[in-house]
Amino acid sequence: MPKAALKGGLRPFERILKTMQTQGNTTPPEKRKGLWLDLGIMPYKPAFEVQTALYAERMEGDLPTIVIVQENNPVFTIGRTGSRSNILLTEAELHKLGIEVIDVNRGGDVTFHTTGQIIVSPLVYLGDIDRNANQYFHQLEDVQISVLDRYGIKSHKKEGYPGAWCGEEKIGAVGIAVRHGYTCHGFSLNVNPDLYPFSLINPCGVSRMPVTSMKKMLGRDIPGQEVRETIREIIGDLLGFDFRTITLPHALDMLKNQDLSVPAQGFQKIES
Amino acid sequence: MDYDIVVPSTADGALQVTMVSWIRKPGDSVDKGQDLAEASTEKITLYITAPVTGVVKSILVAEGEKANVDDVVGTMSDGGEG
Repeated sequence: MPKAALKGGLRPFERILKTMQTQGNTTPPEKRKGLWLDLGIMPYKPAFEVQTALYAERMEGDLPTIVIVQENNPVFTIGRTGSRSNILLTEAELHKLGIEVIDVNRGGDVTFHTTGQIIVSPLVYLGDIDRNANQYFHQLEDVQISVLDRYGIKSHKKEGYPGAWCGEEKIGAVGIAVRHGYTCHGFSLNVNPDLYPFSLINPCGVSRMPVTSMKKMLGRDIPGQEVRETIREIIGDLLGFDFRTITLPHALDMLKNQDLSVPAQGFQKIES
Repeated sequence: MDYDIVVPSTADGALQVTMVSWIRKPGDSVDKGQDLAEASTEKITLYITAPVTGVVKSILVAEGEKANVDDVVGTMSDGGEG
């Protein structure tokens, strides 16, 4: 290749692409079809049961990409590299507060889930989106940052501390599991949660790590349904999916394994 | 014939993982694609699955130890010669 072409900064195919783009000669790539399942507010265990069942059949190739959205009743979850010692409460104190503790198969340490915190779990095949696990992981952080930006909240990634951060305060967590190139778990975003229980743990194994929420940053309540719609749009754009909404009964109907203890009507709908 | 059990390349090549747990031990029979072990980065859990139907022969990277993507962490045998 002539040195001039390299020196100019653009290779021939890049020049052609740039010309096509400036002439408006490209059509946007067609988006893949995906499903969007909103579980509303649900205890962690049955919600995880739904995710596990859908994930198993997704890996068999029987289901398309599904994004599961939910809020959970108060629960501390401990990831695969986590430690019970990062929950700074006794069993009796946990019982009194009505907070469950559950070991889960995502990466990471201890975190807290509750109402007002939106959890998003894309069941994606990495080969479909042409990304490796690490790239996908950081793209979930990009989704969080883009969603927050829509509300005028400036956030950023922090080297060595995954998630979305507002200054030194964490506003969103990320944790995924990958099997055969298929992902589960995903990210959580603090919209309007009670932040007090975060002070009862070392979130993600980090002591005295301050957390924040969209409500705290903006000084007002944010409609959860509106945030869900924003997340849906941004995931669709960043990962290249066009989502169709399905309900829990529809999702359960799609499963070959119908032996779940989850009530088909779900638990509690989110009021927008 | 023996086969290598490797850390899956779905993760970034630069990533180092910790072997969290071996779900199957030497001598266990498994089907191709079944989970053998869990490895984890700081935030990503990776499942290492059986490359063939056969028997787990050896574990080369113990629980709690580190490995890189594409590293051989154990071996399996399909019972055939070779």
